[in-house]
Amino acid sequence: MASSIRVDNIYAGYGSVRVLHNVSLNVAPRETVTLLGTNGNGKSTLIKTIMGVVRPTSGRIVATIDGKDYDLIGKETEEIIDLGVALVPEGRRLFPRLTVEENLLLGAYRPTARARLKDNMAYCYEAFPRLAERRSQLAGTMSGGEQQMLALGRALMSAPSILIVDEPSVGLAPLFVSRTIDMIAQLKERYHLTVLMAEQNFTQAMRIADKGYVIVHGEIAFRGDSPEEMQRSDLIRQHYLGM
Amino acid sequence: MGQFAGLLLDSIVSGVLVGGFYAAMAVGISIAFGMLGISNIAHPALILLGSFIAYVLNSQFGWDPILVGVLATVPFYFLGTLLYSAYEIAFERRGTQLIRGLAFFFGLLFITEVGLQLVFGVDYRLVETPYIGPSYNIGPVSLPVRMLIPFLASVLLLIGLQVFFMRTFTGRAIMAVAQDKFALQLMGAAPVRVKRIAFGLSTATAAMAGAFLIILQPVEPSMGRDYIGRIFAICVLGGIGSLPGTFVAAVIVGVAESITATFYGPSWSPAIAFGFLLIALVVRPAGLFGRA
Repeated sequence: MASSIRVDNIYAGYGSVRVLHNVSLNVAPRETVTLLGTNGNGKSTLIKTIMGVVRPTSGRIVATIDGKDYDLIGKETEEIIDLGVALVPEGRRLFPRLTVEENLLLGAYRPTARARLKDNMAYCYEAFPRLAERRSQLAGTMSGGEQQMLALGRALMSAPSILIVDEPSVGLAPLFVSRTIDMIAQLKERYHLTVLMAEQNFTQAMRIADKGYVIVHGEIAFRGDSPEEMQRSDLIRQHYLGM
Repeated sequence: MGQFAGLLLDSIVSGVLVGGFYAAMAVGISIAFGMLGISNIAHPALILLGSFIAYVLNSQFGWDPILVGVLATVPFYFLGTLLYSAYEIAFERRGTQLIRGLAFFFGLLFITEVGLQLVFGVDYRLVETPYIGPSYNIGPVSLPVRMLIPFLASVLLLIGLQVFFMRTFTGRAIMAVAQDKFALQLMGAAPVRVKRIAFGLSTATAAMAGAFLIILQPVEPSMGRDYIGRIFAICVLGGIGSLPGTFVAAVIVGVAESITATFYGPSWSPAIAFGFLLIALVVRPAGLFGRA
């Protein structure tokens, strides 16, 4: 069954600093939506707000998971994960002193995921052969690209229906960026995911996105409902394509 | 076999046996300090509390101390969860646990100790069981049953805990919680709950270690202090948070102490334990089995 996320008129920030102003965003079932914006414009804050880390001052965030609506505001991060939302966070946040395999196993912590542990693990190792080779290596000792694969694999182990990825390209060599982006598309197909991806790399993000939002100074400055519409936007041409 | 070799072999064997018991004492610290980052220096006092519970039930009803140790893990587990909740609300949540948390456990150490002194006085107490007296002799080596039983029970305790940490979701979450709290939330686990369970387990091990202690030797309430340095040294030597490391380090320290006591006199034993620690920290800072 299909899952989606709706963010309506969110205002949020840290203490007296308001970061997000009236942000609304919609990720429809099985869609890949990209949230574009350069550093400091509120991408990560929006993701943190969705994940229950930052509490908004007003607005609504509703996740529809397998046809059922859940109000995400006021829920703890772990409760949101438990519903079937997975986040690949900025900086990956692996457990550096656990092995690759232990990291993956922890990904399957939520009860729904435990039942599918074997299948998902087998798929992870098939999709990321490097992880299979390094299954007993400590996660902290791997290269950035390998760590990003592990972060993706670990998120998948939770058998999510909604996958949120925060800046997968940061700190990676160009080759790994495009591999990671391809991988997200592949995983989406395989698991029928609904994907929200924050990125600054417009070209890479648009390769797999159905829709996009541009966030500037904490406000949605542009919404493009198709890749073509995104490409045609003056804002994007100026800021991201240097035209 | 020469007299020297026999003496050496005997002291190695008794060192291994005592080392196994040290591992049971240290494993609680290994979990609390190594996995959770909580410097629970009251742990040895809680071990003494375990010893006195074994003493009371043994002297009043004739219960076997090992049995008491196993049964007492249940109330000790809940005591641990309560202690952690208090610690979490008062310090960890506010980020003041480093110094104030240490003071909290210092306080707990003294309260437990003084409480035991008020109830039992400062005399040495002991338990009576059929296996305290006998001893097997194999050549020059003597295997006192009062040492053999705590050793075997310690090995079982550590194996059980290790299986729990490696094979269960909660166990793995405990190993991860100190590394990245937010990442653990992203796995769908509540860090405070995970830590509460872990601290409960850590405290529960004190019940068993206490029973082993009073089988090995008579106890008095402030005796736990003698062990604080030694068990922290074992945890660091073994590698923070590693149970196999804790066991191996405990045996090394036990054997080193035993050999030193046999050939140079017992007063040198602590120096040897800490000497090993220093060497280990220079050669391998993460400890023997540490994940660096």
